[in-house]
Amino acid sequence: MVKIYNDYKDRADFLTVYVREAHPTDEWQMKSNVKEDVCYAQPKTLEQRVAIANDFVQRQKYPLPFGIDDMNNAADLAYSAWPERLYVIDEHGRIAFAGGMGPFKYDPEEVRAWLVKRFGPVTQTSSAAAPPKP
Amino acid sequence: MSRFWKWTLGIFLGLMLIAFAGLSFMAGSPKDVYGMVRYALPHMHRGKLRVGEDAPDVRLLALDGSNHFHLRERTGSRPLVVIFGSYT
Repeated sequence: MVKIYNDYKDRADFLTVYVREAHPTDEWQMKSNVKEDVCYAQPKTLEQRVAIANDFVQRQKYPLPFGIDDMNNAADLAYSAWPERLYVIDEHGRIAFAGGMGPFKYDPEEVRAWLVKRFGPVTQTSSAAAPPKP
Repeated sequence: MSRFWKWTLGIFLGLMLIAFAGLSFMAGSPKDVYGMVRYALPHMHRGKLRVGEDAPDVRLLALDGSNHFHLRERTGSRPLVVIFGSYT
């Protein structure tokens, strides 16, 4: 998503929303997360969510604008967001693109295709940031 | 127990074992099957929002941990790409 952000940030706005953890240590932890030292328990407080979100942004040098879902999981429930999902909202506040449920149907290239259709192809050659999750 | 029910039960248990083995292979291990059933399935939703519908507004917290904003504040002038996810 970082590459797409770098390509289209002059034409569209971007917002990353942190929702409840998908593979915390106290639930369904993945070996890949242990290997990459991404080990967090499921946050029980908003402060814990803020801390993990900040860890993510700093460790991944993640440049996109960021918001954090509340402990009622309002954003998650409204958008069926967990574990990961993509949307595009148009200028009139309507859903313009609704991606599938991640991880199997989480496809940033579908967002790129929407942006290409709307704005034409754009490719920055100097995208330095490595593509982190989400 | 009659012979019929013994066979039925045996076939059922055999199919369950095959299904569990298949899921374990796909998910990575039997522990992952448990994690998927126990933690993932209850939170997985195919999603009801469709293209053309109003995007729900939600209140979000900024990274500083103190300021809130509404998702709809970020819409209006340009398309908004929204990426939902977590760290793990």
